[in-house]
Amino acid sequence: MIRKEAISIIVEKMSNQPIISANGFISRDLFEVCDKNSNFYMIGSMGLASSIGLGLALQNPKKTIYVFDGDGNILMNLGSLTTISKLKPKNFIHIIFDNSSHESTGGQPTSTNKISIDAIAKAVNFKAFRCNSKKDLDETFKKIKNISGPIIILMKISKSEKISKRVSLPPKKIKSRFMKSF
Amino acid sequence: MKELTQRQIFDYLFNNGIENFIGVPDSTMKYFIEQGFKKNKILITTREEEAIGIAVGMSLSRSNSLVFMQNAGFANSLSTITSLVQLYKIPMIFLIGWRGFLKNDAPEHTKIGKIQPKLLQALSLQSKILNEKNWMIYCDWALTLIKEKKPCALILKRDFID
Repeated sequence: MIRKEAISIIVEKMSNQPIISANGFISRDLFEVCDKNSNFYMIGSMGLASSIGLGLALQNPKKTIYVFDGDGNILMNLGSLTTISKLKPKNFIHIIFDNSSHESTGGQPTSTNKISIDAIAKAVNFKAFRCNSKKDLDETFKKIKNISGPIIILMKISKSEKISKRVSLPPKKIKSRFMKSF
Repeated sequence: MKELTQRQIFDYLFNNGIENFIGVPDSTMKYFIEQGFKKNKILITTREEEAIGIAVGMSLSRSNSLVFMQNAGFANSLSTITSLVQLYKIPMIFLIGWRGFLKNDAPEHTKIGKIQPKLLQALSLQSKILNEKNWMIYCDWALTLIKEKKPCALILKRDFID
């Protein structure tokens, strides 16, 4: 499955919860599939989507916060998993689209074909799930309804052939409409 | 800076609307951080960029943060400041410990200590250097900028050798 398809399946399962999406093709795909005021497209600062999501989760305990991350992104900020684990936000769902590559910069390999991010997440006390298909996603989303976070869903994806358009909104607009959305 | 002043600075910012104190510790501001721990208001992160990211999430939820770090961590944070804090115009106060301010500080701090004022200037990040006399005026200055939704930096000189 490619990332865009995985994103479509996941956003259909969500209602209007805030999403912090990582820079590069992840934000581009989300923008094309399902642009909403409650999407915060982090267009720079690679690695920090999970940290921004943590800040939101701590301040908004009654809202579920979703982070759409990539393998290259989370590998730049693995320490974030230990901080999140320390604080145990129940409302934090971290979805990592893992294609074992830096797809946005030309498909250079990451280390995730040799190491498992879900195993790392489990080691720091996340509830971690690995998905390879739509069926896995369906089952995982059923399971997580009844458990509290922090949760990691590692969605294994393949590289895409088409590139989605850039996020055309100015950053100030991304921020202001996001803040008004909840 | 004296222990008492550091504690007063924490209390002053905390009592005037700064709700979150996030960062990587620096011995320059040891008592500031200790005072925050007493109030259960300190969040220690693994890296400075991570602290900034969390503060951004807090700010998007309308809760103001101070991010503390040594100037080595400030150097780590340059890209996060330009491509996140300044790009989205997110208000937050940086508290930066100025290692390498004294010429005989440890050698790893010399270069960054020397270029720190130029880095702040190059970033167009407004900053003030705190001392025993001016700290309240400059804390008020920072709090005003936060209300205007602008980031800024307060600098603490490392004026002792251990």
